[in-house]
Amino acid sequence: MNDLALKMLLGDRAKYIMLVSGLTFASLLMTEQAAIFCGIMQWSGSTLDNVGAPIWVVDPMVEQVNDTEALRDTDLHRVRSVEGVAWAAPFYQGVLRTRMRDGSFKFVQLVGIDAATFAGAPAEVVEGDLNQLRLPNTVILDEYGAQKLSRDPARPIAVGDSFEINDHEARVVGICRTRMSFSGNPYVFTTYDQALQYAPGTRKMLSCVLVGAAEGKEPAAVARRIGQATGLKAYTRDEFFWLTVWWFIENTGIPVAFGATVLLGFVVGLAISSQTFYSFVLENLRNLGALKAMGASDRVLARMVMLQTLTVGLIGYGCGVGLASLFGMVVLRKGMPPFFLPWQLPLLTLGAVLFICWMAASLGIRKIRQLEPAVVFRG
Amino acid sequence: MNRIAVRTSCVCKGFGEGESRTEVLKEVNFEAQMGELLMLVGPSGCGKTTLLSVIAGTLGVDRGEVEVFDSPLHRLQTKEVTQFRASNIGFIFQQYNLIPTLNCIENVSVPLRIQGATAADAEDKAAAMLETVGLGKRIRHRPNMLSGGQQQRVAIARALVHDPKLIICDEPTAALDSENGARVMEILRGVAARPDRCVIIVTHDNRIFRYADRMTHMEDGRIHHTDNPETGAMERQ
Ligand SMILES: Nc1ncnc2c1ncn2[C@@H]1O[C@H](COP(=O)(O)OP(=O)(O)OP(=O)(O)O)[C@@H](O)[C@H]1O
Ligand SMILES: [Mg+2]
Repeated sequence: MNDLALKMLLGDRAKYIMLVSGLTFASLLMTEQAAIFCGIMQWSGSTLDNVGAPIWVVDPMVEQVNDTEALRDTDLHRVRSVEGVAWAAPFYQGVLRTRMRDGSFKFVQLVGIDAATFAGAPAEVVEGDLNQLRLPNTVILDEYGAQKLSRDPARPIAVGDSFEINDHEARVVGICRTRMSFSGNPYVFTTYDQALQYAPGTRKMLSCVLVGAAEGKEPAAVARRIGQATGLKAYTRDEFFWLTVWWFIENTGIPVAFGATVLLGFVVGLAISSQTFYSFVLENLRNLGALKAMGASDRVLARMVMLQTLTVGLIGYGCGVGLASLFGMVVLRKGMPPFFLPWQLPLLTLGAVLFICWMAASLGIRKIRQLEPAVVFRG
Repeated sequence: MNRIAVRTSCVCKGFGEGESRTEVLKEVNFEAQMGELLMLVGPSGCGKTTLLSVIAGTLGVDRGEVEVFDSPLHRLQTKEVTQFRASNIGFIFQQYNLIPTLNCIENVSVPLRIQGATAADAEDKAAAMLETVGLGKRIRHRPNMLSGGQQQRVAIARALVHDPKLIICDEPTAALDSENGARVMEILRGVAARPDRCVIIVTHDNRIFRYADRMTHMEDGRIHHTDNPETGAMERQ
């Protein structure tokens, strides 16, 4: 009977297309919007990916990675003396204004790393040489910045070019690859000492202490020990990332905005599919009654209905997630908007689609259960 | 040598509750025999369709007994009645009730598929049956590509394909002109009626009365009398 159920479904082209497009739309909207949301959340913690360090030690007032509340220089030594710490390096980050040769202004995310250890240096230097960063007045710029800071789109900034940060010369000795920051400012790497030159003078400049755990020590355990010993907050990279994500979820309208769209996709999908499927069942009620009279049990009919909804559900899901991935591939190439599709997302969408199918099917099955086979004799 | 195929004793059936309740079947004693084509006739609203539904097991009774081939339908569970219908009864409806999105051969194979036959086996038998009703060349057509008479012939093929012992027809010719009606009746007479089978037809259509072995007349929820058009014998109740 299953093949007949499918033929019944496919035979009604209009309803079939309606059902599949409803579910495609729902899966697409849910997956794509959720992926953009995940992308934005990933951007919020970009600094953690661009500056690789296992443990981050910050002021207790700091709520997320883009916050800066300066530490005292002595804090660096206090952290270093905690047991289990292999190395500890100073780190500066701040948003500074740059001036180009032609006089235009741009903001950049300035990152200062320890010149001795290069702890926190960009992982992927695509052009130039990281070691030249030890020379005075030098920076490494990310690819996005090379484009953005250049006046001429055809000619991005290259190694050897220079510009000014707060009236200090910044000579580009390398181009690196980074993940875009939430604010959209390009990353500019320099040494910690050089960063202090660029940054407008304040007494305390130490944004953060980057720490590596000694061999064989759990970063989480070392972080806890640092916290206890110094009274500062120490997070592992993952802890700090999730802290940041939760901060954005709680303190911005982003989750609400995206959540509303995802919900909309779900509700529209549910409404279209249940409605269409229910009318499909209603229109076929006489025929289903005939099947029932001819001896098809409720169980067989329920299985047929289930199969029909599951078929349109899975096809719609495939199309929707496929389109969402296609969209993702296009925008990832462009870099905008952010897009991140963790494997859990398609699974969640599948769950939602299956739920929609189940709802639609149970409406139809209920109707079939109540159907008296004797109706087929009525004119 | 006539064996009883269907017997109802004192069957009562009503619809609705309280004030609006109407008794449709009032102690109906009905009998149909193996090997006969029996017509159930009577004025509109007298309860013919209701009685037919009771006999077919698609409608339960309030009181009384319904025996079809010695199976007491009134005592069986819904599931058992459903199974009984699947293997013993062929249905022909006034509106044909063919599934519009399935072609003829698929429609005809449905009763076999319900009983668990494979698609290939079922379609072999369905094709043979369509041949028998004169539609061998139309097996891949959809119902909406056929005339009313042809559709009813497909429905007859569907009713017969699983070789049931009881064929139930409600107004099989009401939607057809006299020529097509006659054709349908010829097929029912020639193919469906067999010594080991009973055909019960509810009808208003006096053009087809001549095909009946016996006619049972109903009036106001009761069997009035049964007569034999050929011998003129009449049994009153
Ligand atoms: N499911 C039902 N609910 C309520 N009343 C019903 C139901 N089925 C039948 N009836 C009533 O029972 C009476 C007999 O109906 P039935 O269909 O058996 O008559 P009939 O003899 O087949 O009539 P016709 O020749 O017009 O088809 C009618 O008055 C009808 O309104
Ligand atoms: Mg009737």
